[in-house]
Amino acid sequence: MLDRPISSPIHLVLRPLQVTVELFGIPRLRAGVSQSVADGSTLGEILLDLSRRFPSLGKSCIEGCNLKAGYIANLRGERFVTDPETELNEGDIVLLMSLDAGG
Amino acid sequence: MDQTPGYHGRYLRIDLSSGISKSVSLEASFLRKYLGGSGLGVALLMKEGTATVEPLSPEAAIAFVFSPLVGSPLTTSAKFAVVSKSPLTQRINDSLASSGFALTGKKTGHDAIVLVGRASRPSVLVIDNDQVRLEPTEDLRGCSNPETQKKLRSRFGADFQIATIGPAGERLVRFSTISHDGRHAGRGGSGAVLGSKNIKAIAVRGTQRVQWSDQLALVRLAKELSEKSFGPATAKYRELGTASNLLTFNRLNVLPTRNFQQGSFQGASAISSEELGAVRNRTRASCAACTIGCEHLYSLKSGVPVRLEYESLFALGPLCGIDDSEIVLIASQRCDAAGLDTISSGGTIGFAMECAERGLIDAPWLRFGDGNALLRALDLMVSGEGLGQLLAMGSRAMAMEIGHDSIEFAPQVKGLELPGYDPRGLQMMALGFAVGARGADHNRSGAYEVDFSEAVDRRNVGPESAHLAVETEDRAALMDSLILCKFLRGVFVDFFHESADILRLVTGWDVTAAELRETAQRIVTEKKRFNILAGWTPSEDTLPTRMLQTAIPEDARSSLSTDRLASLIKAYNLARGWSEEGWLPEAEQCTL
Ligand code: SF4
Repeated sequence: MLDRPISSPIHLVLRPLQVTVELFGIPRLRAGVSQSVADGSTLGEILLDLSRRFPSLGKSCIEGCNLKAGYIANLRGERFVTDPETELNEGDIVLLMSLDAGG
Repeated sequence: MDQTPGYHGRYLRIDLSSGISKSVSLEASFLRKYLGGSGLGVALLMKEGTATVEPLSPEAAIAFVFSPLVGSPLTTSAKFAVVSKSPLTQRINDSLASSGFALTGKKTGHDAIVLVGRASRPSVLVIDNDQVRLEPTEDLRGCSNPETQKKLRSRFGADFQIATIGPAGERLVRFSTISHDGRHAGRGGSGAVLGSKNIKAIAVRGTQRVQWSDQLALVRLAKELSEKSFGPATAKYRELGTASNLLTFNRLNVLPTRNFQQGSFQGASAISSEELGAVRNRTRASCAACTIGCEHLYSLKSGVPVRLEYESLFALGPLCGIDDSEIVLIASQRCDAAGLDTISSGGTIGFAMECAERGLIDAPWLRFGDGNALLRALDLMVSGEGLGQLLAMGSRAMAMEIGHDSIEFAPQVKGLELPGYDPRGLQMMALGFAVGARGADHNRSGAYEVDFSEAVDRRNVGPESAHLAVETEDRAALMDSLILCKFLRGVFVDFFHESADILRLVTGWDVTAAELRETAQRIVTEKKRFNILAGWTPSEDTLPTRMLQTAIPEDARSSLSTDRLASLIKAYNLARGWSEEGWLPEAEQCTL
């Protein structure tokens, strides 16, 4: 347990986090890897970090802290998210994929 | 009266028994109500009274329907719908295919071609502008789709476009397809309907073009649409093809595996598009008049290229436990050549594999994961020998024959085998499958789009979201009637508005988004009306018992109870303005 006053902002103590990112479809093709790690405590932050690590992924799928139209993120295979403010936890897994999963 | 631009204002009705054909005029008001493609097709079938007759009887009509957009410069618009009563489901069946047959078929001077009756011997139906004739085709009996198309092209010449059935259609396999240029009107057995009419092929040639209401503006809009079609919304289709869904679905535990006994497949990587692309030659192709080009072909070891989409890959791979990509490609090629719907073929064989493992059928050779068994089962399906007779009926009829409650794990709704989405983990899609007019279907309901979004929790969808399934179904009905390819849908910001813009330029009608919403609803309702006349009852809007009694093994949260599905269906029906059970309001029950 962390020994800190209740009022102390958590992010000063815990951030930044490292999360695992799994890539599918076009994001995988652009990054050239199926999995990576990224630093950040929100979805937006890890997208920024991914853009730095994989410029071609950043160029085609990411715009600043957001995913471009046509792409979506999923947390741990459980919940689809697009809001860059979505908070992440240490050890989280973020999936990046094409939004349109049909075929 | 001036002809509405975009249309010929008539359809060709051919009675194959009497040999009489006639042009029947189509009022502009009727066209505006049903547009073309699926919508116009179901309306024409209602006029023919096809809902109440046996689908393989001479009385049953089958309609090849073009659309106001066919022949226009709009990307992905070279498509036609084949509409009939399905011998697999005994319900409405509309399946779409693309390319030259649509363009040339419309140039015969008709908005649709409707066939009734039965030719006295196996024939090719030749439609050369307004001239119609039957030519015997005894020499083509048993020929595959590519062979038949090749022989007929050399017989008739390159300006004819040809749609064919393979040996599966000739043998009336209930899920046989109609093929044109490597593409298929795939689901529901329209190949058997054509086969029952003794028609091996239809050859069309024409020179009659329609006008466009505002040609210049239409060309401008078409150019913009084509430019958008090169953007991120279609990147997946262009660069990877639909097969790239496999690993995503596997990761989310919604990849139907071993007849829906699992939601993920150990061998998924070995048959993924990524692996196929790494170890095999890959080429791309597209339908006529398409700027996307979603078709990806992978070479067999022999070097022969084979088209492979996600649905074929999942059905002939994980669903049957097959992790050998060479086998999956060969199986897909055999289905295309024989004219078998890959989803129903894989679905029925996967079901038979489970029956064999449980000792319900005497086929010890038929085991999950055995590629040679898959290929043998496909061959039997086409030849009708041994187990093939049962397999050719599809999983529902097969389960009825086998008994022992095997219907509980037959992977079908209304007789149509489920496509590659496990509905327990994609519950908006579960609703789409259950209420679908043609059965378990991912093309007439795009409800999975909602599952793959923040709008719902895909594993816990509630009735308050049912209207979202209505919305995707309406959008699909409009796309299938205009007709535009579904893979273009991501480029539209407001599909109904933009469709109204398109249709105004094509036809000159003062059509609005609100009108097109109503049109889409009318088309969905018309299909329901067809089904009610054909004997639909609320009890058939459901899912296989397995889906309602067991969770996906890898993910306990992916479970869907009978009660929750019932509440979704009730909310869907009410959102449609139907009774809770799904009956139409009395005034709409039996009118056209
Ligand atoms: S996107 Fe694919 S299916 Fe659609 S028209 Fe183009 S090639 Fe044909």
